[in-house]
Amino acid sequence: MTSTLLRFKNIVGGYGNTMVVSDISGTIGKGEVLGIFGRNGVGKSTLSKLLAGALPMSVGSLLLNNKDISFTSNHERRQRGIGYMPQTAMVFDNLTVRENLSLARSTQDMKYYLSAFPRLAERQTQIAGSMSGGERKILAFVRTMLEETCLVILDEPSEGVQPENILKMQECIERRKAKGTSFVLVEQNMSMLTSISDFYIGIDSGRIVFESDKKSASRQDILSVLSV
Amino acid sequence: MSSILLLNILWQVSILAMVTIGLGIVFGQLKIMNMAHGELVMIGAYAPVITSHLGLSGYLQLPICVATVGLTALIMERTVIRHFYGRPFDSLLATWGLSILMREIVEMIFGREYQSVSSPLPGTMSLLGTDYPIYRVVVILGVAVFFFTLLLWYRRSKVGTEIKAMVENPALAQAVGINTSRLSSVCFVFGAVSAGIAGMVLAPTTRVEPMMGLDYLIRSFFSLVVGGLGSLEGLFIGVGLIGGIQSTIGAFFNQTYGYLFVLTLSILFLWLKPNGLYRSN
Repeated sequence: MTSTLLRFKNIVGGYGNTMVVSDISGTIGKGEVLGIFGRNGVGKSTLSKLLAGALPMSVGSLLLNNKDISFTSNHERRQRGIGYMPQTAMVFDNLTVRENLSLARSTQDMKYYLSAFPRLAERQTQIAGSMSGGERKILAFVRTMLEETCLVILDEPSEGVQPENILKMQECIERRKAKGTSFVLVEQNMSMLTSISDFYIGIDSGRIVFESDKKSASRQDILSVLSV
Repeated sequence: MSSILLLNILWQVSILAMVTIGLGIVFGQLKIMNMAHGELVMIGAYAPVITSHLGLSGYLQLPICVATVGLTALIMERTVIRHFYGRPFDSLLATWGLSILMREIVEMIFGREYQSVSSPLPGTMSLLGTDYPIYRVVVILGVAVFFFTLLLWYRRSKVGTEIKAMVENPALAQAVGINTSRLSSVCFVFGAVSAGIAGMVLAPTTRVEPMMGLDYLIRSFFSLVVGGLGSLEGLFIGVGLIGGIQSTIGAFFNQTYGYLFVLTLSILFLWLKPNGLYRSN
C-alpha cells in the first residue's frame, strides 16, 4: 500500500457567493493517478483550481504530506510541490515557446520532452499565442511536467490534441508516475482516463457521485456517470 | 540644426527617458498611475543636497539617493500601492494624496527655498564643434549605457521573462511558481529608484525644491501617451518626440510655446490615438 501524499476533506468552493463544488473528499497516494471525470460544467475544473490554490476554498481541509496547506496561495502550493496546468489560458500567449518553457523551475528533462514532442523543438522562437489550440496544450503540458513537483494537476490536457500526441502524453505521465510523482487528471477522454488512472472520482452537480479504484470500475460504470 | 541644439535635445531626451522609464514600468506593467512619481524624482534630487549640507563625499550621492528613494518606495508599496494593482484610476487618487504628503515632509525638513547643487564634473569639452558641459555628456552616455543594459536584461534574463509572464497572466504566473507579490514590489521599487536617480543627475542643472517633480511627472505622462504603454520601444519614441519637440521649439521660440505644443500633441493623441504610436502585444 502506498503512503498518502494528498488528503482533501469536505472541500466546498466556487466563485464569489456561488458554490460550485460541495463536500468533496479523497486521497492520493504517492505515485498514483486520480482520474476525475464528469459532464461539462459539473465542477471538475473548479475542483482542480481549489486543489491547486487558484481558487480559495470556502470550507474544507487539504493536507500535503500531512501538512495543512488549506489556506495557502497558488504560488505557495507550487513551492510546496504542486504543479498545475489549467484548462484555459494555460500558456503565456505573448511569450515564445522557449520563454514559456524557461519558466519551469527545472529543465533537466527538456531533451526528453522535446524529443517526445518535436513540434515544440521546431517552434522555439514562435510566439505561443500564434500556435494551434492543441499545440498550446502540449506546450502547457510540457512546461508543467518539467517541474519537479510531487503532485501534478492536469486539467483536460488532451483537449484538442492529436491522438498520437495524447499517447505520448500518457507515456510521459507513466514515466513520471514510475518515479513516484502523483497526478490529479481531470479528463473527458475516456481512453486516456482509463489507461492511466488508478482511482476514479465521478462528479455531477458539484458532488461526488461515483468513486472506485481501477479494478472495480468498468468502462460502463464510468459512461453511466457521464450520461446522468 | 546646430550642434548645441542637437546636444541639448539629447540631454533633454536622456533625462526624460530616465524619469519616464519608472512611470512606464509602474503604469504599463503594474497598472498603477503613480501621481507621486514626480516626488520620487524630487527626493532623488535632494541626495546631492544632503551630501553637500553634511559635507559628505560626492561619491555617497548615489547610495544615499538609492537608499532614500528605495525606502520611500518600499513603504509606499507596502502600505498603499499593493492594494491598487490593476486599478489605475483608484491608484491615481491614492498616489495623489501620497504626493502631497511627500512634498509636505520634504518641506518640513528642507524648507521651501530653492537649493542649488554644484556639478560634480565642472567645465566643458569640445564636441561636434561646440563647447558642451562635460557633466551633461557623461550623463547622456550613462543613460545610453543604462538603457542598452536594461533592454538586454529584459529580453534575455529569466526575471525579465517572469515580469512579462506576470503582466500577461498573473494567475498562471503564480501557478508556475512566480511570486507575483514580491515581483510587483521589486518592479515598483526599481521604477521609483530610476526616477530618483534621474532627479539626482538633474540636480546640478536645475533648481531643487519640493514642487520640482510636477513638471517631470507631466512630461513623462505625455511621453507615455504619445509613445504607447508596455514596451521600451514605445517609451523611446515617446520621450524622443516629447523631449525633442519641446527642446526644439523652446530653442527657436520659448519654453512656454514648447510646453504648449507637447500639451496639444498629447491631447490629440489621447483623443485620436489613445494607444500611442507603439504598443506591445
